[in-house]
Amino acid sequence: MTSIDELPSRRVEGWRWTDLRSALAGHNPPMAEGDRHVIARLAQAAGRMSTRVVASGESSVEIERLGGAALDVQALEFDVREGADLTLIVLQAGAETALSHRKIRLGERSVFRQFVLMDGGSLARIETDVEIAGAGATVEMSAVYLAAAGKHADLTSRVDLRAEGAIVRQLVRGAARKGGRGVFQGKFHVGREAQKTDARMKHNALLLEEGAEVFAKPELEIYADDVQCAHGNTAGQLDEAAIFYLRSRGIPDAQARAMITRAFLFEAIPDWLDAAVRTEAEGRIDAWLEAAP
Amino acid sequence: MLELENLHAGVSTDGGLAKAILNGVTLSVPAGQVHAVMGPNGSGKSTLSYVLTGRPGYEVTQGSATLDGLDLTGLDPEVRAARGLFLSFQYPLEIAGVPVMTFVRTAMNAQRKARGEPEMSAPDYLRKSKTVAASLKIDPQMLSRPLNVGFSGGEKKRLEIYQMMMLEPRFMILDETDSGLDIDALRIVAEGVNALRAPTRGMLVITHYQRLLDYIKPDRVHVLASGRIVASGGPELAFRLEKEGYDGVIADAAL
Repeated sequence: MTSIDELPSRRVEGWRWTDLRSALAGHNPPMAEGDRHVIARLAQAAGRMSTRVVASGESSVEIERLGGAALDVQALEFDVREGADLTLIVLQAGAETALSHRKIRLGERSVFRQFVLMDGGSLARIETDVEIAGAGATVEMSAVYLAAAGKHADLTSRVDLRAEGAIVRQLVRGAARKGGRGVFQGKFHVGREAQKTDARMKHNALLLEEGAEVFAKPELEIYADDVQCAHGNTAGQLDEAAIFYLRSRGIPDAQARAMITRAFLFEAIPDWLDAAVRTEAEGRIDAWLEAAP
Repeated sequence: MLELENLHAGVSTDGGLAKAILNGVTLSVPAGQVHAVMGPNGSGKSTLSYVLTGRPGYEVTQGSATLDGLDLTGLDPEVRAARGLFLSFQYPLEIAGVPVMTFVRTAMNAQRKARGEPEMSAPDYLRKSKTVAASLKIDPQMLSRPLNVGFSGGEKKRLEIYQMMMLEPRFMILDETDSGLDIDALRIVAEGVNALRAPTRGMLVITHYQRLLDYIKPDRVHVLASGRIVASGGPELAFRLEKEGYDGVIADAAL
């Protein structure tokens, strides 16, 4: 059993928008000892933790589905060796409480790609922790979150750059309806040894209705002097002038709004995604847009 | 066809009060005719186009606007479009992520659905699109790109006419279609517009300059000033405006 006191409170910086204590209060899940991340320790105690190695020169694709149970906790650790290639696809839907943590350690010239699609839950948080340990690694992370009424969707990520010449691209698009809450926390930590880093982070959210909430904290922490780093963060409403333009051509109001939101979210679906997963992701976004608000 | 009777309209503000812009516009465009509306900056030309197409935030406070006897005021923009009203925007909007072709086809089928007509099939659409694009000298590749994103001013205006020719509206309002066009593009666009002239269609051409009217010959010219039509006449009125300026013509009208 976990005492609630062992869980981070909302006073802890990384948890101020996601109230883990209230979400887990009724569950009393066990938590493993140690200095691992809190979600990893919960997953370890629940027997939902795994560690994998992607051997040098190999290529691995994993699809992770979250949300099967009232409380779904899982943690994954990957050691991606020199020249290896890891693709993760995370699809989260329908859980009351879903917590997922993944830690990826990247070796020299390795490639990590990730696509996350999340619908949120009463509390859902997907964490990605990337450590770039070898030179010349490539990271491409995309995500789409959808927060309908009563849903909480939290995407938290950290990329620690500890070797030179990495290319990092992160694009997150989200949409929230009335009573829905989206959270994006992204950090790039560029260490002194990470010269020639080229890293870009982008988070854009649409607040579709009055009463929708999005909280964002993009962070760059840079200790190397020869790097290119940028972040962009926006949260706003649909452009009413654009909606009128579509309506003036005969497209009904609701359809016009869905069309523009759809295009906005689809931009975060990466080109490299496998066709079957793409179809599934697009279908889920469309269904979410069509569902009565 | 289009009948405006003592139309008063303005922009609604947060308090619900309207800032009056149109102060009693009376205008009648019979089927088969093209009327031009000219006027100085701030006279209410663009407001007139938005009021007629139902842009949210614009309010009719008095008078009436009807299309073939149908009261337009209070109808949603999409309903007006399905009834055959089309506005070629002065500043067409950029719609990220929506290809031109997808957009126009969605619009066409939404209009058809509203009118209780069957959808146009994809092959029929493509055939028509090819012909229209060729007549406007539009590169077919442009039609696969997101609507107006990164298009030049001239390309955007050409795309407005492409949409108009695809949708085949019954009444067209062209809001400063000539701005941003070079001479060759102006001629191509005007040819497209003229191809749509028909005994069953009407058109309102809003412009600052007489030049456009060399290509799209109007039956009547109206001068809009301070939200009212202050002078009306034949095509010669446009030439007089070009020569004497708005000040002269408006001063004469005040006498």
